[in-house]
Amino acid sequence: MTRNTRILMQCIYWAFVLYLLVPLFLMMIMGFKDSKFIGFPIRSLTLDWYIGVFQDTQVLNAMGYSLVIALVSTAIALFMGSWIAVALTGRSFWGRAIILGLTLLPAVIPGVISAIAFRIAARVVGMEPGMWAIIWSHAIHNVPFVVLVVMARLSTLPKSYGEAARDLGADPIITFFRVTLPYLTPAMIGGGIFCMLLSFDDFVRSFFLGGYEPTLPVLIFAKLRSGMSPEINAISTIVLVLTALLGLWAERSMRGMSKRAAND
Amino acid sequence: MTLSNTSGKADRPGFWGRLSGFGPYTALTEVLFASPRRQFLVLLILPVIWVFVTHLGPILQMLNVSLLTNYPPSPNKVPSYTLEHYGKFFTEGIFITPFIRTMVFSTVLTLTTLIIMYPVAYFLARHVPRNRQILFLMLLLIPFWVGEVVRIFAMMILLGNNGALNLALQWLGLTERPIPFMYTGFSLSAGIIYLTALYMLMPLYSALEKIPANFSEAAADLGAGPWTRFRRITLPLSLEGVSSGCTLVFLISTGVYATPVLLGGPSTTLFSEVIAGFFHVAGDQWPVGAAFAVIMLLSALAITGAFTQLMAHLAAKVKK
Repeated sequence: MTRNTRILMQCIYWAFVLYLLVPLFLMMIMGFKDSKFIGFPIRSLTLDWYIGVFQDTQVLNAMGYSLVIALVSTAIALFMGSWIAVALTGRSFWGRAIILGLTLLPAVIPGVISAIAFRIAARVVGMEPGMWAIIWSHAIHNVPFVVLVVMARLSTLPKSYGEAARDLGADPIITFFRVTLPYLTPAMIGGGIFCMLLSFDDFVRSFFLGGYEPTLPVLIFAKLRSGMSPEINAISTIVLVLTALLGLWAERSMRGMSKRAAND
Repeated sequence: MTLSNTSGKADRPGFWGRLSGFGPYTALTEVLFASPRRQFLVLLILPVIWVFVTHLGPILQMLNVSLLTNYPPSPNKVPSYTLEHYGKFFTEGIFITPFIRTMVFSTVLTLTTLIIMYPVAYFLARHVPRNRQILFLMLLLIPFWVGEVVRIFAMMILLGNNGALNLALQWLGLTERPIPFMYTGFSLSAGIIYLTALYMLMPLYSALEKIPANFSEAAADLGAGPWTRFRRITLPLSLEGVSSGCTLVFLISTGVYATPVLLGGPSTTLFSEVIAGFFHVAGDQWPVGAAFAVIMLLSALAITGAFTQLMAHLAAKVKK
């Protein structure tokens, strides 16, 4: 590569970073604006909007509701995803490709179609729209991501570990809990946090499967449709900070995993 | 001596030791793990049930409802099977336009994202020193952990009539009155690229990262210019990343719902909004919406399937 193309690529990279970060940065700043109207110029600053968020029971309830949904759906996705990954890794049998394909299916179906399919299926089995319907759809949507992360980790587990445990008299269940599961922990933490982020941020499934109580993204959407106000900026900024922290934690967990795998 | 005994003292087995000596437990494991074949079945039965019932089930239910005359069933109208809802798509012109717009729009956006993200991924994988790649990558990753709605909102602040972009343009004297960016194809594209770019970046980055640097060096020694090296070595070896990145971005952009609602206008109505409309209005429109969703799902999968095949074909051809 010549010097010029290299500089050009560097410029494209930084331009793209600006494109990603500037809108979020503006959004954060606007939450401090001392006026009801969003937009420039900003004449004076205030903390009222941020304080207001913590006094607004509707927002706090939505936040708690989203968090419960994220935790429960992640627990289900982790359990099923890890089980599927363990069942599919290191084995070849007739129909494995079909099972793997079906496992990854929820991840590739366009969002609105997946939400509608879940809405119809919930009605067919008689499930009311609401918390359990959302949890159920989030869990299914997140299983493929757990499977991919756990499978990647499992493929680096030396076969001899399990064999050694078996030779020492451990049955498959004990081998799983004492050899396989500890080895999978970093992948499951990373995958689990990723699932929580996906669930906490999800709009389309929560929108179609929700009852009267809104999740946080659905509440923000409803507020946005009825008009922009710096209150939404304050809520969004808090969400941004929370998700960025969680994401960094997940990233660290996964990074440590690949480093340790390289050392093994 | 068993593995389960090694953790505690030899005379006092730990939890796992006690478990493996527990009568009912050993009886159960003997039944479950009598032969490798049975072990395999025990392990596989739950995943198989799960993927068929919960992953495939809802799609099949949607297909079923799309073929019914009315849903939900009412006492005085027993549903029967029909194809009329699919016919509606082809006979009533108002539905074809948003459909074609969605497909063309998604294709153009996918290619745009590819053109923007390829240099970014290349720069990250080949020019940033290894130990700093994480930092450079992190700058791009953080915005993507924030949800769809929050990111669209951030876009609205940037592009609004008294938003930052218009303010900057006026300050620079490039325009006197604010340019209406919002509720146009432009704002919609900017929003969708904002949502999908990472799904293009990651596959491209991991494909490019795997190509050994000395391939290009060897080619350079043999007299190949920069363009030839890119066309004959880097591009063919990164086709796999191009293929999966484009597939992901295309599928996501056909399925976005909040983005066109908040950033689009009447002239940019996408098919996802049309489909969703059938589920909002009170009344018996679900089968039509389901039929349209099936049409969109099949078209999106057909387009990405054909594209993946083409890419695999190209990659195979280059390798010869």
